[in-house]
Amino acid sequence: MASNAIHIAGRVANQIIHDRRTMALILIVPLVVMTLIGLSFPDESVLDYIAPAMLATLALFFSFLLTGISFLRERSQGTMERLMVAPVTRLDIVLGYLLGFFIFALIQTLIIVLFTIYALGINFYGELWQILLFQVVVITGAVTLGIFTSTFAHNEFQMVQFIPLIIVPQIFLCGVIWPVEQMPEYLQWLSVILPLTYAVEGLRDIMLYGFSLADVWVELAVLLGFAILTSILASLTLRKRV
Amino acid sequence: MTETAIDVNNISFSYGKLKVIDDMSVAISPGTSYGLLGPNGAGKTTLIRLMVGLLKPSSGSIRCLGKAASRELAHQIGYMPQLPALYNELSVRQNIDFFARIYGMKHKKERSQRVDEVIRLVDLWQKRNAHVNQLSGGMKQRVSLACAIVHRPPLIFLDEPTVGLDPELRVHFWNYFEELIKSGSTLIISSHTFDDAAHCNKLAFMRLGKIVAEGSPRELKQATGKLDATLENAFLYFIRREDKADGK
Ligand SMILES: Nc1ncnc2c1ncn2[C@@H]1O[C@H](COP(=O)(O)OP(=O)(O)OP(=O)(O)O)[C@@H](O)[C@H]1O
Ligand SMILES: [Mg+2]
Repeated sequence: MASNAIHIAGRVANQIIHDRRTMALILIVPLVVMTLIGLSFPDESVLDYIAPAMLATLALFFSFLLTGISFLRERSQGTMERLMVAPVTRLDIVLGYLLGFFIFALIQTLIIVLFTIYALGINFYGELWQILLFQVVVITGAVTLGIFTSTFAHNEFQMVQFIPLIIVPQIFLCGVIWPVEQMPEYLQWLSVILPLTYAVEGLRDIMLYGFSLADVWVELAVLLGFAILTSILASLTLRKRV
Repeated sequence: MTETAIDVNNISFSYGKLKVIDDMSVAISPGTSYGLLGPNGAGKTTLIRLMVGLLKPSSGSIRCLGKAASRELAHQIGYMPQLPALYNELSVRQNIDFFARIYGMKHKKERSQRVDEVIRLVDLWQKRNAHVNQLSGGMKQRVSLACAIVHRPPLIFLDEPTVGLDPELRVHFWNYFEELIKSGSTLIISSHTFDDAAHCNKLAFMRLGKIVAEGSPRELKQATGKLDATLENAFLYFIRREDKADGK
């Protein structure tokens, strides 16, 4: 049963590994971004503040975009049709994509954390395994959101058009750059319903203040709820056969 | 084994307002090849997608090997879509191996042997490690066939498998199809070439979502009443007859 999810995960991973540019995008681009942030904010405390937020943002961005595009290809090249005829369940497909992307997104997180600590000299307190586990929940929501969103795109360009619609507003509204409390009240209300707000808040608590996962259970619960919701939506769109 | 491999009972299907399959019934015997022949837009692909369970008929019923669509049945079906549905970033071998895994071929050595076997069968041994996006159209078609049959399904649906193949390979494919049939598999093949049609045990001439005539190539030729009739003549004959019956 679940073995099919593992086969799909293996195949997704294989596809990414064979695509050098995508590998570079996942592993090197985040370091460039972090370096630029480090250089443009000479004040160390600003970088301390932004780095955890960037961890969540980059995981959301890459997992969302890459899943969306992979899924779109799966539909347009007809392999989805093959999978639908095969003894594969919708759960296998969603789980397979999740597992496949966990590998890369978690490696990305690891690289960013180590890079910001050792190369940029950020002061972190949280435990690494807790950061990674928290990210798993963030990535789950991002991957399933990508699957769901890809239903509404007819080509790769249209998938990219969702970035300014879905990702960019969250970067401005969810406390990545400036605190949510400093925004006008109506925008604060908006931030309450955006998942990145909770990802940023949770990671900051863990990394800046050394909170444990138990301490950030509210954020975790909201993110988990979001992940469950998008997983259901993703599975429903899969039912709409090819 | 059940008496019929596929039982299609009075099915209809529409895309929106467009009626694509119109009250169609088909019975296909096991261990035979059944050809769906018809012009572009006749509904061949739609009928195959209904039979493999990708689409649901708006009315009527479909049974394959005596069963309604299920996970268990899915293991017994091989499906080659009209466009070569493959992972372009992966190699020939990786593509076939992936589908072998998906179809539950767990034993590593056995799977690997079978994958090699089908690669040779479609004559791509030299290209086995090439990425699919580096292959020619006909080669992709061959990989696509390999992916459809790697798990040795008893029921095989091939949507225009010979399109884009050179004559030599076409003969090669048909030799292989005949072997599959001898070993007890049932093949459903769509095509719009009369060359393919001549190879099928039984043929359905399709047009506008209807089967206008059905029978062995010989029967269909004989029905025209001319001794030297070709399948092409027979096809035109049945279409004329149908048009006349409709008062056109
Ligand atoms: N996804 C779709 N949405 C709307 N209409 C469709 C769709 N797919 C097919 N059709 C219509 O259904 C009819 C039958 O199409 P189908 O693909 O079954 O024909 P076909 O016999 O396979 O043709 P070809 O020889 O070109 O492959 C055509 O009129 C086509 O326009
Ligand atoms: Mg077709």
